[in-house]
Amino acid sequence: MLDLKTLYATFVRNFTIQIRAYPKDFFIGNILSAIYTSISAFFMYHLLFKGNIKQSFIDYSGTTDYISYIIIGYSMYHFMVRTLLNVSRSLITELREGTLESLMLAPFQRVQYFVGNMLQQTITVTGEAVIMILICLPFGLKFGGLDILSTVISLLLSFYAYFSISLILAAVMLYTRDTYISQNTLFSLLFLICGVTFPIEYLPASIQWLAQGIPVTLSLEIVRNSTLLGVIAADQAGNFLKLFLISTVYCAIGFLLIKKVETTALEKIHG
Amino acid sequence: MLKAEQLSKTYETKDWAGLFRRKQNRVEAVKNVNLEMHQGQIIGLLGINGAGKTTTIKMLSTLLLPSTGCITVDGLDIVKDVMAVKKRINMISGGERMLYWRLTARENLWYFGQLYNIDNKTLEKRINMLLEKVGLSDKQNIPVERFSKGMKQRLQIARGLINDPSYIFMDEPTLGLDAVIAKELREHVKQMAYQQGKSILLTSHYIQEVEELCEYVYILNQGEVIMKGTPKELALMGMESKTLCIELYSNHELLHASILEACHEVEKDCNIHWDADNSRYTICSRKDVSNVVTKVLLDKQVPLKGFYLQEPSLEDAIVKLSKNASKNTSTEVSA
Repeated sequence: MLDLKTLYATFVRNFTIQIRAYPKDFFIGNILSAIYTSISAFFMYHLLFKGNIKQSFIDYSGTTDYISYIIIGYSMYHFMVRTLLNVSRSLITELREGTLESLMLAPFQRVQYFVGNMLQQTITVTGEAVIMILICLPFGLKFGGLDILSTVISLLLSFYAYFSISLILAAVMLYTRDTYISQNTLFSLLFLICGVTFPIEYLPASIQWLAQGIPVTLSLEIVRNSTLLGVIAADQAGNFLKLFLISTVYCAIGFLLIKKVETTALEKIHG
Repeated sequence: MLKAEQLSKTYETKDWAGLFRRKQNRVEAVKNVNLEMHQGQIIGLLGINGAGKTTTIKMLSTLLLPSTGCITVDGLDIVKDVMAVKKRINMISGGERMLYWRLTARENLWYFGQLYNIDNKTLEKRINMLLEKVGLSDKQNIPVERFSKGMKQRLQIARGLINDPSYIFMDEPTLGLDAVIAKELREHVKQMAYQQGKSILLTSHYIQEVEELCEYVYILNQGEVIMKGTPKELALMGMESKTLCIELYSNHELLHASILEACHEVEKDCNIHWDADNSRYTICSRKDVSNVVTKVLLDKQVPLKGFYLQEPSLEDAIVKLSKNASKNTSTEVSA
């Protein structure tokens, strides 16, 4: 039988700590920030631009539903930020709370440890996202062409992509012992260039090229294709494979970096 | 058996040496350390601050990679077979860290037990046994953040034993503990070594603790082992002279000249001190003067209250050895 003790234990540990340390207010705060983004988009679209969108937007995004485009983009961005926050900060949090050494003394599986962190966060964020989407429905969120299978595959691959990026960020955070500058710089960059609120085709060619190398861009594309445009899984197989491969490269680099940085981090405690 | 051979650790750090320039520093924290730990043995690692004790323990416990040298645990290489080695060892540090404060005592032990892949039935039994042993059974469901310092330290001990390790590294385990709890801890340590056959390596700033517990002691100074042996041997090594104390019931002034003469016959520059308030002689000499002094006392038929050689102190020996060693050693090299 597959032994998943570390995964399960980390999952349970995080839930227990989250319930004790960050009760409902954190949950509510996250939902509110997402709702405010949707409301802002709603008012801008209807009151400022009076429902007009440029033809170029329709050509690039493939949809005329600007509000749904924004809400889905922001929901996925929210998933990404929370995953990155939790997985990336896991080791540096252990370092700051003084548990990194007791953790590293144990012969635990690194993959399971990180997946346990991710899984706990994914479940929490899914709860937030469901509530967020329900609240956003009156503001015009429509799943115009929802394909269930394609959506499920897109979401799973997106979680894998976010997990992979978070490993690299975890290594950077642990090495620099910084959470604020590294995470916020990355989040701002991803928000700007990965197509969260507008198609990346509006960006200069060189930035578009950079955006294509970040799994978040493709993740947003396949999720929108599956929920707004009704693109079935078979028609997106190429994109699914591409996202899987890019994410795997990120994942491998992340684990290699973490292995190297763990040693440095433990040395820095005494060095 | 745990064996460390030619163990060295060099830290490389970078400091700002101006607005844009960074200076690289190399600090040799541990240099060519050799040590052995046998089953059921308690060994001590002593030295003043910065001697390299903690770095040595971190290398032995797999937390730090040695720069050079090798460590084997029951024949397993600590670098190549790290996962197998981790199952056989554990570390207990002084202080309040290494625990999840928002989890309860039981939850902490359960979590670490899972990381060691202990099967659930065994883990359940072990957690109950350890909580009982460290006296936290009735507090097992309280979050650690509400524990006192002593309770946290006791839970640390339980955590360090969760995988039933054969080798335990204890880095200042009684740091900040009150006398009663520190005594209890020392009893635990003895029990683990002598009844359960565990090998224990202990560092402590409390020399008496090391003298009480350790069968064999390594003295580190500036990263090097400068002396090793039993606490008794080490104390004697640090002693350049012997101190003989003679306590009388009353002052015998006629005795002074005879004792002085007898002692000076053995060693010209020996130091004799008469404490009139306590009617006590303290004689410091490199050679043994006890025989000649005994003869004088018998000849004069002086009733004695006490006659003893003052025990050499390990603490004095360490300070003396460290001072001597540091005259010829320098550890920090700028690159």
